[in-house]
Amino acid sequence: MQMVIDMTEGFSHGHVIWGWMIGVYLVLAGASGGALVIALVRRHYSVNKENTALLKSASLIGFTTVAFGMVFLVADLHRPLYFWKILINYNFTSVMSIGVAAISIYIPLTLVVFIMAFEEEIKSILENKIKISKLTTLVVEITKILKKARPTIEFTTIFFAIVICVYTGFLISVLVRFPLLNTAVLPILFMVSGLAAGGAATRLVSYLFFEKDHHSLDMSLLHRLEWPVMFIEILLVAMLIVSLLIGNEYQKIAMQAFDVYATGWAYLFWVGVVGIGFGIPLALNFLFGSKVAHSNWAFFISGASSIVGVLCLRLFLLYAGQTFGA
Amino acid sequence: MSVKSRRNFLKGIGIGSLALGTGGYALSEKTQTEQKLKKHFSMIYDQTKCVGCAECEDACHSVNLVPAAQNRMFIQDRTDPLNVKERRFVRVSCQQCEDAPCVNVCPTAACHRDSITDIVTMNGDDCIGCAYCLVACPYDVRFINEETNMAENCDFCLKSRLEKGGEVPGCVEACKYDALVFGDLNDKKTIISRILEIKDSVRQKPEMGTKPSLRYIPAVRQGV
Ligand code: SF4
Ligand code: SF4
Ligand code: SF4
Repeated sequence: MQMVIDMTEGFSHGHVIWGWMIGVYLVLAGASGGALVIALVRRHYSVNKENTALLKSASLIGFTTVAFGMVFLVADLHRPLYFWKILINYNFTSVMSIGVAAISIYIPLTLVVFIMAFEEEIKSILENKIKISKLTTLVVEITKILKKARPTIEFTTIFFAIVICVYTGFLISVLVRFPLLNTAVLPILFMVSGLAAGGAATRLVSYLFFEKDHHSLDMSLLHRLEWPVMFIEILLVAMLIVSLLIGNEYQKIAMQAFDVYATGWAYLFWVGVVGIGFGIPLALNFLFGSKVAHSNWAFFISGASSIVGVLCLRLFLLYAGQTFGA
Repeated sequence: MSVKSRRNFLKGIGIGSLALGTGGYALSEKTQTEQKLKKHFSMIYDQTKCVGCAECEDACHSVNLVPAAQNRMFIQDRTDPLNVKERRFVRVSCQQCEDAPCVNVCPTAACHRDSITDIVTMNGDDCIGCAYCLVACPYDVRFINEETNMAENCDFCLKSRLEKGGEVPGCVEACKYDALVFGDLNDKKTIISRILEIKDSVRQKPEMGTKPSLRYIPAVRQGV
């Protein structure tokens, strides 16, 4: 539909407006939510109510990634010093407002979950290193209260972790100008890829800091969870592609996002998402026999590849998505 | 309503909002319900009349203090390279959507609909420069002002002229060829309504579902 009265140019002149900082924020928020969903759901169904390596690792990731994510989000603003305006002026038709509301509940929750998971460590540091007895008793009292509320806190955290993952999808799926983003699968794709990144990060951190055995029950469970999650991810990406392929003119134009001859961003998808994110973990675990699959290096590379893949997916969607607008 | 009384109305708006000043939204909203005024301001861009002189762009820059490298509106050259004798232009600017995504997505409500005129405009002080409105706009006609770091759009010179008693936007005043017409669509007696009654007009990408207000009168001789 090209009429001579149509304006075919806008103000962005082909430049991507939301860049890598937003992309990194999306990954960090997704990984935070994904890690906590996995660890807390696992804890709920497990008889072991100890603070496991899985829980410690996930709660460490849960808090730090989302906190770092906020740094990127604020740094991306053109008026970062006025960030507080977002907290006092609400607009509930804005996904960003809803997200900020959710995240200001979520971040404190991740901190509480973190404190509960590291209760013993925090206490021992207080007793042995800091040695302010009043502070120690205060912390003991607080943890006693937290213990009682723990199931409720954890349930709420699971809920908000899901909200965080999903909202990052809605955040960019409302952008009608960009057919690659303006799709129904995006929120759920972000949830699932959040689980993938969160799960992978949890395994790596757990091995590095908390549990040297990556064949423990929790770890092999995590490892087995990886494949169905990846399968759903691939399915959702395929749905996204098909919906563009069979779509209207705008959607067909947006399909160029996947064409390496049309845009360099397509490499982010084919090399980053498909090759590194899906290909390397699959190859290492199923192609070269069990010796490779069970080796330490394969464990690391496979986990890191999953995270890189999710990062590439977010960046690809952002950059290629904004390149092919209506 | 004659042309004169339309002008008087706009003057009324100007004085009214001056008097309200920073009195806040509550007051102006009340005024609106009291008077039961529902205006629908719009603009015609007439391609058959535009010669591409770009004086509207210059006027916009000086009225709205837009940095030289940026625009609130510009005239795009759509001349067919194979038929350069028939020159064609089109105005690129905010379409003043009735269902405006930029207003919906703005987390601080800095981008909002003026309570008196219903024009989509900015309260720059509240803008955090997140650029959400830029990506949400289906027409790609918003920008972050590189001097103020606040988002901007064409608000029919609401802040720079109409609220100060001006009658029409700067570009409309600057155009010597009557290619731009501004007015209230809900008032059947305004010039804009009367033109639209007798001339065919189109809207930009109406399929985006945002009910754009701007009307474009195409020069059809060149065909589609
Ligand atoms: S054209 Fe863009 S900036 Fe203007 S009202 Fe519509 S969405 Fe907002
Ligand atoms: S850039 Fe400013 S006006 Fe636009 S959505 Fe963000 S805060 Fe609102
Ligand atoms: S001033 Fe009028 S004729 Fe000149 S470019 Fe602008 S709209 Fe066209």
